[in-house]
Amino acid sequence: MNLLHYNYLTTDYQGYEFYSEGRKESIKKLVTFAMIQEEPVIYNLAFGDADPETGLMNDSVTSNNEDRDIVLATVANTVSAFCDHHGDHFIYAKGSTPVRTRLYQMGINGIIDEISVDFNVYGVIGDTAYVFEKNVNYEAFLVKRK
Amino acid sequence: MPAIKKADTNIKYSGGATVVSGLKSHANDPFVVKKNEEAKIAVSKLALPSTEKK
Repeated sequence: MNLLHYNYLTTDYQGYEFYSEGRKESIKKLVTFAMIQEEPVIYNLAFGDADPETGLMNDSVTSNNEDRDIVLATVANTVSAFCDHHGDHFIYAKGSTPVRTRLYQMGINGIIDEISVDFNVYGVIGDTAYVFEKNVNYEAFLVKRK
Repeated sequence: MPAIKKADTNIKYSGGATVVSGLKSHANDPFVVKKNEEAKIAVSKLALPSTEKK
């Protein structure tokens, strides 16, 4: 993927962190992958800010750092790095609220041409995964490297 | 003297993860555990698409 992204750190290729350096401040972002199903293998992607006081991940804060596309491109890069080391499995992602899922969708819309070169991207509605299309509102997302 | 702008080395167009030792795991953070449990329930009912390798 040739998308502008932040440098990201990992120890085990399962958890990642990076700093969003947008308009307002430097915000520590966290990404983790956890296996949630064995057959077929599906990993859940959890993404959020590190709480400045506790260091724990949450995604209840809207940071408005005006770098959403770079942040989401960085998350997309962690997916690629994860697959390099843990295999090409389904990866499921959903925002903690419909508004946040919508923000993710807007971000995916912006980079779908780039990520669909290497990944099959699906949008989930109800209990069905559909091939991702712009201008359709999804409840969650599923990706799998081709 | 012309001002010299320091290059922002945090932003890249390419390059993989930087591997560092001792990064804190967030796998057991309450938010992450809750998200994983919700996702587990959601995918158990999900009709997965068939995929083929390149």
